[in-house]
Amino acid sequence: MSHSGHRLFPLPLALAFVFTTVLHAQNPTPAPAAAPDLSDPEVAHVAVTANSIDIDAAKFAQTRTQNPAVKQFAATMITDHTAVNAQAAALATKLGVTPADNAVSQSLESGAKQAHAALEPLHGAAFDRAYMEREVGYHQAVLDAIDKLLIPTTENAELRKLLVDVRPAIATHLEHAKQLKAQLSPPARAGR
Amino acid sequence: MIVWLLLLAVSRAPTTHTVEIRGMEFHPAALTVVAGDTIVWINRDIVPHTATATGRTKWDTGQLSQGQVGRYVARGAGVVRYACTLHPTMHGKLVIR
Repeated sequence: MSHSGHRLFPLPLALAFVFTTVLHAQNPTPAPAAAPDLSDPEVAHVAVTANSIDIDAAKFAQTRTQNPAVKQFAATMITDHTAVNAQAAALATKLGVTPADNAVSQSLESGAKQAHAALEPLHGAAFDRAYMEREVGYHQAVLDAIDKLLIPTTENAELRKLLVDVRPAIATHLEHAKQLKAQLSPPARAGR
Repeated sequence: MIVWLLLLAVSRAPTTHTVEIRGMEFHPAALTVVAGDTIVWINRDIVPHTATATGRTKWDTGQLSQGQVGRYVARGAGVVRYACTLHPTMHGKLVIR
């Protein structure tokens, strides 16, 4: 995973940092890397938090962007992540699991605040580019987290299946975000 | 009577075809049907989808939540391409004979 170009948007970096830190903390020996010890209620909390963060970012983008394609992307993020969270809530209720706050969720929240602060002063095409760049980084980081942290550490089969079922949606969001980012015009160069 | 029975045997009753939407893909992504056949899309994914024509012929299943189905009766002959409006990376194709 490349983090180049994400200097303004620390959330993907924060995600990667958290996951890397947790992995190293749980594995003093360099190899083989094993999944960190998140409980299922903590995994559920991380999943719900990750969805909620992207919903909030999309809601903000809808108030800021004038680009129809970006607006539609944001609408899809709200629709999809809301559907996933509804499914997660229903499963938690069924299993009698109360999502438990944890360091990973807190780091996600902290990163989201920083990302929002970076987007806040931007408008127009600059905002669109920055938002899409953030979405590419975020979805890549979430995808990596699903593969390397959440699925490996989840014990309950139904919760694991939910994560497995959600994965293609995240991968599609990532591809969508990459395509949209590529379509947006590059920043104007000085002297042009 | 015999002629009528022969005509009945030769003429083909409309068929219903099912396209499953799962894993953010249409299965099958390409489907050959005969004009008059019905295509049914069923969404197995957690997230909503649409099957929406992208060519000159306009039709749209509307937004399908998990477990919901949308239908289209194939009209005319030709290749009809469609996509999910929510996820532009998802594409499908009907070959109508």
